[in-house]
Amino acid sequence: MNDGENSGSVSFEDYSIIAQGLQKSFGELRVWSDLSVKIPRGTTYCLLGPNGSGKTTFIRAVAGLLRPDGGNLQVLGEPISNVSRVYPRIGYMTQHKALYPDLTLRENMEFYAGLYGIEGEQMAERISELLDMVDLAEHADRITGALSGGMYQRLSLACTLIHEPDLLLLDEPTVGVDPVLREAFWRFFDGLTEKGKTILITTHLMDEAEKCKIVGYMRAGRMLAEGSPEDLKRLAGLRTILKLSVEEPEASASRLASRGFDVRAAWGELHVAIEEHRQIKEVLDLVEPFDLRLIEPTLGDAFIKLAEGESG
Amino acid sequence: MIDLGFTLNSKRVFVVARRVVRQLKRDRRTIGLITLLPIFLMILFGYALSGEMSGINLGIVDFGGQDDLRDHLASVDDFALLRLGSESDAEKLIVEGRLHGAVVIGEDEVKILLDATSPQITSSIMAEVKNGLQKSVVGVGGLGEYSPVEAESPEIVQRYIYGYDMEMMDSVGPAVLGLVVFFFTFIIAAISFLRERTQGSLEKFMVSPLSRPEMVTGYLLGFSIFTVIQSATTFLVVVFVFGVPMNGNPLTAFGVILLLGAGALVLGAFFSNFARTEFQVVQFIPMVILPQVVLSGVWWPLESIPAFIRPISYILPLTYSSDALRAVMLKGAGVTDILVPDLLVLVGLFVIAFAAATLMLKREVG
Repeated sequence: MNDGENSGSVSFEDYSIIAQGLQKSFGELRVWSDLSVKIPRGTTYCLLGPNGSGKTTFIRAVAGLLRPDGGNLQVLGEPISNVSRVYPRIGYMTQHKALYPDLTLRENMEFYAGLYGIEGEQMAERISELLDMVDLAEHADRITGALSGGMYQRLSLACTLIHEPDLLLLDEPTVGVDPVLREAFWRFFDGLTEKGKTILITTHLMDEAEKCKIVGYMRAGRMLAEGSPEDLKRLAGLRTILKLSVEEPEASASRLASRGFDVRAAWGELHVAIEEHRQIKEVLDLVEPFDLRLIEPTLGDAFIKLAEGESG
Repeated sequence: MIDLGFTLNSKRVFVVARRVVRQLKRDRRTIGLITLLPIFLMILFGYALSGEMSGINLGIVDFGGQDDLRDHLASVDDFALLRLGSESDAEKLIVEGRLHGAVVIGEDEVKILLDATSPQITSSIMAEVKNGLQKSVVGVGGLGEYSPVEAESPEIVQRYIYGYDMEMMDSVGPAVLGLVVFFFTFIIAAISFLRERTQGSLEKFMVSPLSRPEMVTGYLLGFSIFTVIQSATTFLVVVFVFGVPMNGNPLTAFGVILLLGAGALVLGAFFSNFARTEFQVVQFIPMVILPQVVLSGVWWPLESIPAFIRPISYILPLTYSSDALRAVMLKGAGVTDILVPDLLVLVGLFVIAFAAATLMLKREVG
């Protein structure tokens, strides 16, 4: 894309988005105080956080729709003031569907394809491929206004992907999409990142965030914690709990405690904290449970823990 | 690519235009609105206005001194009075055939301008002016005491002017043509751009290679097809049903209408920024459309509008389209005849509104 212009800059190769010390206020309201984010190329990066934490504002800033008051922002190697140069390589899906209800599904896609200069056979191929992906192929010639909410959302995603963007900005993309199709979306996203595409996604669903390679937890305009879902759980000090139902709880508990396990007895059950899954075998060598359950900590638990730590 | 200080990629413009056409094609009600309703309106106006032609259109330029005469003329049922500012205005309107005559009232002199082409009407105007003057001479309490005091009554001066024998529809038709196109284009454009914003596509365009001028130009291109259909049907009704003359080149008249429609579209795009719902767009009708209906000389001549409001008339696009369309259709004027000021002002207003509309669709960065 650029010969020379960015040579010597490592960031262009490795990071799709680099934000340093971003600040933004709307009047009295401070949205970000000091926001720094680096999003490596070829990852799915999830922005998580309560309403008003500045997630959507960040996506809008990356899209060039909003000017940061201070700090540095680079998108696909371009400073934000030149972001329009890389617009052909960005796919932006807003919370609004951006579809024309009186056109057919195919016509909507043809329109967006045309904006990116995709035409003829290439366009036809791309459209049928994407309609298959979002499971709307059989509705291609229906009027878009007759679709259900979830179908709207899927078509909107297909339109965003029409030009094979290098950077995808998805603001709550799976709202109204059923769980089966949502799985399919994530498989498709994984396929994209394998090809080196970068996806920045916002969501309020923890189980979705778990599927991302990196999760950034925003709170009050700052990045509270960032890392892979596993990293974040570890950072929050959360461990997997093995719940055991045994005949003689007290004897079993003392046997486990003597081997250094963190054991608690509750409601006739033993709760054993383990660091890694291979410790399960060690536990089973010491006790003989008639029932066993493994409780994995959730990302939600981690964030509650992290948020408590922050305010305490 | 054309270099105009911004990018204008013709392919992307066509993509937008094709989409606009596809959308409108599906919207049967809107198609009916922009093609059939103008026909219906024209027929309605046509018959309503041909009825009014039984009266006599009389201009009055009142410099004071003859209140009784003025009141008398106002009381004559057959007369439709039009207050004018000067004798030359009155003369112009008689020449154009929009008045049958005019009375210039002064302290010592009453000047009567008459259209020489309709002797019947001139004689009834003359008769009423004389009646009115007699009343003033007789005075309030002097009923029956007829005493001709010739010295006190003002001098009557008659002037014959060769006017144009025209029905009201001839004068109003061409102007209404412009009004109809302006009205529908403005409303539909404002609502279309509002929808682009509320459904999120505008924001998506901003993060795409599509530039703002490309988007607006695409709309212009797509809408122009419907404007042509709309003006063609309206033309046919005006010319063939009501016999309004088409003395000039119909293509010139089409050109004027397209230019006006283009202005209405970008103005609608600009105003859409100030509305959040379609209901609020409708509220622009009294703000943008009504002043043009009243002040741009569609129904009654510009000359009859009080001088202090007239500056407003001179910034309204319909003022110029009405003038140009009348010139082309009635007098057979060509492009060069209507270039100054009509076409130049219409182009100027279009450029200003285009710039304003594209600037309003701006994003914060880049």
